[in-house]
Amino acid sequence: MARREDCGDGARARQHVFLLPEYLKDASKKMKSGLMFVKLVNPCSGEGALYLFNMCLQQLFEIKVFKEKHHSWFINQSVQSGGLLHFVTPMDPLFLLLHYLIKADKEGKFQPLDQVVVDDMFPNCILLLKLPELEKLLQHVTEGKEIGKKKYYKYSKEKTLKWLEKKVNQTVAALKTNNINVGARVQSTAFFSGHQISSDKEEDYIRYAHGLISDYITKELSDDLCKYLKLPEDPASLPKPPSKKVKLSDEPVEAKEDYTKFNTKDMKTEKKNSKMTAAQKALAKVDKTGMKSIDSFFGAKNKKKVGKT
Amino acid sequence: MESGDEEDVEKHRIHLRPVTLRSAPSVTLHLLPCEVGVNRPAPVGRFFTPAIRQGPDGLEVSFRGRRLRGEEVEVPPGLLGYVMAMEEKSLGKQDFPGGSDSDEQELVEPPEALERDFDRFMGASASFQRFTLWGLETVPGPDAKVRAALTWPSLAQAIHAQVPQD
Amino acid sequence: MDLGELERDNTGRCRLNSPVPAVCRKEPCVLGVDEAGRGPVLGPMVYAICYCPMSRLADLEALKVADSKTLSESERDRLFAKMEEDGDFVGWALDVLSPNLISTSMLGRVKYNLNSLSHDTAAGLVQYALDQGVNVAQVFVDTVGMPETYQERLQQRFPGIEVTVKAKADALYPVVSAASICAKVARDQAVKNWQFVEKLQDLDTDYGSGYPNDPKTKAWLRKNVEPVFGFPQFVRFSWRTAQSILEKEAEGVTWEDLPTGDQEGQGRITSYFNEKPGNRPHLPHRYFQERGLESATTL
Repeated sequence: MARREDCGDGARARQHVFLLPEYLKDASKKMKSGLMFVKLVNPCSGEGALYLFNMCLQQLFEIKVFKEKHHSWFINQSVQSGGLLHFVTPMDPLFLLLHYLIKADKEGKFQPLDQVVVDDMFPNCILLLKLPELEKLLQHVTEGKEIGKKKYYKYSKEKTLKWLEKKVNQTVAALKTNNINVGARVQSTAFFSGHQISSDKEEDYIRYAHGLISDYITKELSDDLCKYLKLPEDPASLPKPPSKKVKLSDEPVEAKEDYTKFNTKDMKTEKKNSKMTAAQKALAKVDKTGMKSIDSFFGAKNKKKVGKT
Repeated sequence: MESGDEEDVEKHRIHLRPVTLRSAPSVTLHLLPCEVGVNRPAPVGRFFTPAIRQGPDGLEVSFRGRRLRGEEVEVPPGLLGYVMAMEEKSLGKQDFPGGSDSDEQELVEPPEALERDFDRFMGASASFQRFTLWGLETVPGPDAKVRAALTWPSLAQAIHAQVPQD
Repeated sequence: MDLGELERDNTGRCRLNSPVPAVCRKEPCVLGVDEAGRGPVLGPMVYAICYCPMSRLADLEALKVADSKTLSESERDRLFAKMEEDGDFVGWALDVLSPNLISTSMLGRVKYNLNSLSHDTAAGLVQYALDQGVNVAQVFVDTVGMPETYQERLQQRFPGIEVTVKAKADALYPVVSAASICAKVARDQAVKNWQFVEKLQDLDTDYGSGYPNDPKTKAWLRKNVEPVFGFPQFVRFSWRTAQSILEKEAEGVTWEDLPTGDQEGQGRITSYFNEKPGNRPHLPHRYFQERGLESATTL
């Protein structure tokens, strides 16, 4: 397929819609650089995910993306497919460090942090070592030793579970203040409006918070935490995503016989196309030129190596 | 993993130019309830904006012969909206021009490190504090998924806050 | 005819009417219903009623009203002016349905076809006359669709009135001819003075008759297609002529209530975000799923 080479046109390139903490704007006065997106391991799935480092504030952010089918943006005088909205929110770096500490624990010995936080796949993980107060953070999840002037760490499951329990507790508090419905699935349309909260039980809150925290730790640790919190086995396995709205009509567009008296020729020639349905054809001819730029930078993984050998 | 297959190594960095966060002009955004399968210029100001009407319960417009109902959605307090775009590659040495202003933060890395071909740059082209959310024939209302998503930053704050030391 | 109200906002529907002649409130009246601009792919559809006391029907006939299609534009304008002069016994009312209203009705989640829209509009105008105090005794309607079922529906809705629905009623009954003239005059004027909602530069208005089989109309549509927005609201998007031009010449747009191509669309979208299916054993917590949120993996 021939591609139009007009991706240099700014409006044709992919535009990303982001929500950032406001203070990044103020902090930007002092920075010429130091904000960077990198791919690091997602401590839950073990796969790559995007994070933002602010090297000036020495802070780590995670990035969640809002996606809903059948959405697009109008951005000033342009259209942007996908309708994605990226959320940049501060992240506790300990979740990422924990991933490496657990991995390193297979060695069964105390190690300096720079030997723990190494990753062939995601070499940018060394940026984690530049974050402040790591020592303090690591006390939550490790046993430490100081030999000479060097610190050595060893993963401690006991301490970690204690730390995670605190995380669960502060999440429970936030769930309550944010009026988030944590009970059994609710189909009601008033779901997000946050009525009828009082009926939710404490156990539901803990389970829900445990579930949220589990998105940042390994499955194994999540199971251990479940036991540690003395949560009964959850009878319902993973919930399914909420179902789509009911489709009200599958009919293709049809202007009935009413104007055929004026228009018989048109109708005859166009009838057969029409049965192919407008949407199908529309999709078949979607312009792919704009998608070149979508060929994402981070997503370039599948493609053959660019440049560097 | 030991194999260290270089093709799989994720060493890319995308540098977001801080200065663009301060200078970004404000932008008009509409989130539409349909997929337009392309990124391209579109005469929104000529075809869409002038057709918006204030109806009895919300905004009304049509797009491609279908009726849309809309409402303004505010970005939650403490957050700012930005539209960002990747810069074209190979801008070479101008990437960080005039690095001698003493009141500015030192570069975290020497400039040559930024010219690796797995580094790219992106900047904010525009900023926003609200956008118009459109639903197909009905006002999206409080149940709209995106509205629910907007509550994430406040919950994230709680999940990721440091826990008190023992 | 003063279409000022329509020109101020032509995105919906707009009702216009003459004053009700006093005699029409007292004496039993005959009322005709007809329409103009049903077939065209451009501009509004206009429904009209015209009524007068049965005792003055001969005076209406004396104006030599006839099926508007057999009259020239100037003859129609002249006849409409004469009806206005006879405002002491002839009354009329119009419902102008904008092309945008027609498009959005016919393309709605719940399809509202042109027949139903027409029937409801006609019935609405009869009701309007009744609400104004017109003493309606007989109604004559030019048919849309099957005359029998249409007549039955109208008769049911207006049990106290004698309803006649017929093909070519505009040629058979002077009061329907008069309605057809009102409708056609309004439609022509509305099209001629159409205020485009869009800010279009150098718009060429050489769009012919507006009927889909008019080569001029088709050429105009092809020339004025905008890749993202399609057409100005002046065009009825629900017409097949318009749709087939969009399919060929405009960007693809898919809606949640049009299921066809869903599978295909899905594949396309996931592939360009470069997610490999089966590579994600972990589903995010329901908090995220319910909010359409997931960890970003790419930009």
